[in-house]
Amino acid sequence: MTGRVLMSAQGLQIRFGGVVAADNVNIDIHEGNNLAIIGPNGAGKTTFLNICTGYLKPHAGRVVFDGKDVTRKSPRQITRLGVARAFQIPQLFTEHTALENLLIAAAARDRSWKPFTALGAIPEREEMMHLLDMVKCTSVADRPVSELPEGQRKLVDIALALALKPKLLFMDEPTSGVASSEKFEVLDIVAKALAEAQVTAVFVEHDIGIVERFADEVAVWNRGEILFRGEPGEILSHPDVIRDVIGEEV
Amino acid sequence: MNTQLFALAIFDGVAYAALVFLVAVGLTLIFGVLQILNVAHGSFYAIGAYATASLGGMVFAAGFSPYLAFPLMLIVAVLVGIALGGLIEQFLLKRIYVKEGALQLLVTFAVFMILEDVQRLVWGVQPYFESSALQALGNIKVLGITYTVYQLIVLPCIALAVLICLRLFLRRTLSGKLILAVTEDREAATSIGIDADRVYLLTFIVGAALAAFGGALASATTSVVPGMGADMIVLSFAVVATAGLGQIEGAALTALLIGLGRSFAVYLMPELQVLVPYLIMLLVLLVRPQGLFGIAQARKI
Repeated sequence: MTGRVLMSAQGLQIRFGGVVAADNVNIDIHEGNNLAIIGPNGAGKTTFLNICTGYLKPHAGRVVFDGKDVTRKSPRQITRLGVARAFQIPQLFTEHTALENLLIAAAARDRSWKPFTALGAIPEREEMMHLLDMVKCTSVADRPVSELPEGQRKLVDIALALALKPKLLFMDEPTSGVASSEKFEVLDIVAKALAEAQVTAVFVEHDIGIVERFADEVAVWNRGEILFRGEPGEILSHPDVIRDVIGEEV
Repeated sequence: MNTQLFALAIFDGVAYAALVFLVAVGLTLIFGVLQILNVAHGSFYAIGAYATASLGGMVFAAGFSPYLAFPLMLIVAVLVGIALGGLIEQFLLKRIYVKEGALQLLVTFAVFMILEDVQRLVWGVQPYFESSALQALGNIKVLGITYTVYQLIVLPCIALAVLICLRLFLRRTLSGKLILAVTEDREAATSIGIDADRVYLLTFIVGAALAAFGGALASATTSVVPGMGADMIVLSFAVVATAGLGQIEGAALTALLIGLGRSFAVYLMPELQVLVPYLIMLLVLLVRPQGLFGIAQARKI
């Protein structure tokens, strides 16, 4: 845990009916420290992501990002502050090309509303092409996203998140839907791009191989609580984790 | 039917289609982006016509050039779009986007009824007629028929220009892409920081302004009377439904189809004049329920 604290969740509490999805969750996310969140289904992993990105409001507790309390802010406001999110299913505009998707994101980031700027003349074009290059997708820049295979969609989705210039990126199962033979390849590209863009990642993942390869730190969730937290080597070999989490997943 | 009558029917149809298109394209744009069928759209048309006819009357009575009618029409359209469209979106529609379609329809219908009475309060029930713009441009003789330049050339050119501009704007500019992005997936667009509220507001203003512009242009060709908004909204619905909801280019072709159908009916079977647009709609929807150009749910605008 080297970097400064980027985001801090303090005493998060939320329940849906009788189900406790977050029970006094306290966790600091440090800059440059990629955090993997693992745990069985229904453990509250995605709920945590939803709270941190403004999609859910906790019943108690707060989320502080970069020194600002963002608990009650909308997803859009939180995005503007520098927190991006990549969903399990890429949230891309499928009728548009990969490059156009990024240009749309850049326009949203810059809040530019230049009604009559032609697409070809947008100053961010080169910057966005560089992002596509970072995720090895320049060859498909001008193809509609609907034509791309899942792996490339994931990569374009990450590029789109990076186009928002975030400091922190939440990813919900970054490799779900990608053929297992391509998972490492896709993730290596993502990891390299994130490092280059100096973005810290928090990701929910079921695939332990991916966690080992990519995470600097692992947090094990169950029933709305963080059970264990630490370095991947130590946590993933912990007998309780193997029995309760990995045993169930593999 | 001789050649002259045939040509006359075509001219009538094209001129009429141009006006119908301007109103229908605003309606379909609003539906495509906001997913709301806006019945009050007919009121924007009527108010555009009333405002242009009454203001024009004052301006020309004061001795100004009749060519001032054209900038006046544009100003009226923009004002109606911003003042009326903007207020309605901000204070009413904004609250009902997440509500079900039937309620949305009722709300816009209520707005339509209110605005009908507002028109009667402001302009009374006597007809307004102010055709200085039409007369200023004079006539042209084509195929042995004398027709007004305004209806034969100006109206179709304006409709065509609006169609081309809208298409280029939506497909070739960044703002257009932002609108399409919100249309495709509002939630995803919001999550990357696009201000969907602003996109909705601007789209509604543009749609309302197009209807008002249609009314402003129509005011030079016909008497402005109570009920013209209702006639136009029903006809625009027919055009939009026949074309497929959200289809901009489709609305242009369908407006032409329905405009021509109506004008030929006037010359061949006058008793069917009112019925023909709806017969066309019925026939099309029987064969293609998604409309002539509608792709079932694939593209919304």
